[in-house]
Amino acid sequence: MTSDDEHEHIRVLIADDDENILEAYLEAFSEPESTREMQVLDALEAELFDPDAEIEKEPHFDVVACSQGNDAISLAKQAADGGEPFDVVILDVRMPPGIDGVEAGSKIRELDPDVPIVFVTGFSDVPLEELRRRVPPPMKLHYFNKPLSFTQLAQDVASMVRPQ
Amino acid sequence: MPLQRKVFLTLLLVFATFSALSYTILTGVISPAFDDLDVSMAQTNLIRAERAIQSDIQNLEAVTADWAFWDDIHDYVRGINPGFKKGNLDRPTLTNLGLDVMAVYALERELLWGQLRIDDEEHPIEELGIFAPDDPASGVLTAHDRLESQTVGIVGTALGPMLISSRPILHSDDSGPIAGALVMGQFMNEAHMARLAQRTEVDLHWRLLERFAANHNIDLRAIADAGIHLETTGSIVSGFMVLPDIFGEPLLVLHADTPRRISVLGEQTVNVAMLFLVVTGVCVTIAIWYLLRGSILTPIEKLVRHIKTIRKSGDLSHRLTLNSGDEIGALAEEFGDLTSEVHEARKALLYQSFKAGKADTAAEVLHNIRNAMTPMINGLDRLAKSFKIADELRVDEATRQLSNPDCPAERAGKFIEYIDASFARIKSVNKEAGEDMNVVRSQARQVEAILADQEKFANVVPVEENIVVDEVVGEAAHVIPKKARKNIEVEVDQNLIRYRVRAHRIGLLQVLGNLILNAYESIERDKKLKGHIALSALDTVVDDKPMVRLTVRDNGTGFDEDMGRCLFQRGYSSKSKGSATGLGLHWCANAVAGMGGRISAESLGAGQGAEFHVLLPAAQGG
Repeated sequence: MTSDDEHEHIRVLIADDDENILEAYLEAFSEPESTREMQVLDALEAELFDPDAEIEKEPHFDVVACSQGNDAISLAKQAADGGEPFDVVILDVRMPPGIDGVEAGSKIRELDPDVPIVFVTGFSDVPLEELRRRVPPPMKLHYFNKPLSFTQLAQDVASMVRPQ
Repeated sequence: MPLQRKVFLTLLLVFATFSALSYTILTGVISPAFDDLDVSMAQTNLIRAERAIQSDIQNLEAVTADWAFWDDIHDYVRGINPGFKKGNLDRPTLTNLGLDVMAVYALERELLWGQLRIDDEEHPIEELGIFAPDDPASGVLTAHDRLESQTVGIVGTALGPMLISSRPILHSDDSGPIAGALVMGQFMNEAHMARLAQRTEVDLHWRLLERFAANHNIDLRAIADAGIHLETTGSIVSGFMVLPDIFGEPLLVLHADTPRRISVLGEQTVNVAMLFLVVTGVCVTIAIWYLLRGSILTPIEKLVRHIKTIRKSGDLSHRLTLNSGDEIGALAEEFGDLTSEVHEARKALLYQSFKAGKADTAAEVLHNIRNAMTPMINGLDRLAKSFKIADELRVDEATRQLSNPDCPAERAGKFIEYIDASFARIKSVNKEAGEDMNVVRSQARQVEAILADQEKFANVVPVEENIVVDEVVGEAAHVIPKKARKNIEVEVDQNLIRYRVRAHRIGLLQVLGNLILNAYESIERDKKLKGHIALSALDTVVDDKPMVRLTVRDNGTGFDEDMGRCLFQRGYSSKSKGSATGLGLHWCANAVAGMGGRISAESLGAGQGAEFHVLLPAAQGG
């Protein structure tokens, strides 16, 4: 995670074979569009109603998306080799026709023992115990069933990487 | 080639080989042994005949010695006992001694007395020719120069071969001096040979050597060297032996015929043995054939037919009972057990594959629907956020402060600017909300498409098969928890094994399991001390079609008329919420209808128990 003056930057790798879902991810993890009119409105509201209120810092996600497990492994390796490993990896379990998310997670875990790995799936035929065995440690493993709110997931992801 | 034919041909081959071997041994080994016995017998006969002749010669020699070593004849020859001739040398003497010729010679070959008898008539001894001074035989017969001298054997005479013996005439104590010579002889005529034949029981003849050589193509020298020559002709073995004369020269051929009685007997024995072996072989072959057929071939054929029947019909529950305690019976039993296990495994596999198929389908549907719902949820999420943005705008407060006359003009201008910006913001949010609504609508259509896809699979007709009711009922009854079986008596009609229906096995299993489970739960709800569930079947005909009616009867809570009308409706349950465990009667009704049957229920009322009837098409054929 990196930070500038206003925002913290969280690097997230997302792999899901469903384009609509990837789009929903990008929508939820991207920064809200800030037009000039919105900035004017926010400035007026602050000036007219809450002159002393502090503007809350929203996390900023740098999202890299792909649709196959092998691509996720390659991207994770490239990022690690480039000295900028991902802060969080989000994987679907079923991603035909390539390897499944569990195998991809297992390989990524070998590359980066500390990165939190989040499995988000519609259905997994891999029991949770096996997930824990193949992608240790349990503290760095998260599991969510679809459907879920990606906005909420984005907040969860931010809390995963935020210093406690 | 069928096993029976193979075994039959093998037995035939064994029998033929056995017969050929027996024939070869009997004719090649045993028959020649009988022939050898005949030849041996012929040889023995010939030797016996020759010994009989030698015996006659020895007797003649003994008689000759008895007379020659006698003082009376010694004196007579010396001329001092003239009365001897009258008292001893007369015709009865030859008759009594069995002689044909007798001659007494004094010294210097002087004939003192001689007599030759042929057919009881006296003839001069000169007719024999052997006493003529120039005949070589005369030299050794009519005079002896030593006390122990003797001439014994066979001699050829002008009247035929004769046994001859000659001794010097001595004192009774065998002392000399030699007074002369005594000669005695017997013809080897027919009468003599007949006596020999009677004595020896051998059919024997003799031929003079010259005549025999002229009539037979036999090497006489070889006979003389070998001593005996044997010839087998037809039913007789002829033996030939050369007899020498007193000089050791071949004179006669002794010929003895021996009937081949042993060979004939042996041939008969061989024939009987051969017949016995053939008959025995046929009997043994037939016995082995029937034994193999009864104990091995027929059971194996039954087993093969049984396997083919199972393969053709696919009915693994069909069992073969051979009632045989041997290995084939055990094989049939083991095969029966094996097919039963495969039958059970197939049912379990079918059930498992059904469940696995359902699980796969459920997993796939879950995955697809959840994936489709995710953008929907997030779209709704954004919609909610949009509405929240509109709610958070403080347009009301800006309007109120703007309407305040004390509001400074500069601030009022900023409120107006804020209200304009807020409306612009609401417009923008509305536009985004419209886009999000499109996403939600699109994803909802995707979910609908997934469900429509599932509907196609829901219409797949399950595979139907012929099912013995007893099997499915027995399996379905296991749905009753073990702990409850002490209080609930399940009565299964023993005749269920007779009923066969055409149905989907797993579907029927689930329907019956559901009905039995309902019955059990109904009894539990009624808190009866002793529950009773009866399972029975009945043949019936509906619309000219043979059907089987399966009935599950219980003594549980039953139902009233109003409940009866709703029992098979979708979503209806007589149980309290949360306690329903089965698939539901609505599902059962649909499943039975899918198998071409009907389901119905009846009860006398609440607390009176209930009967559920499942009507299914009866199985046709194998």
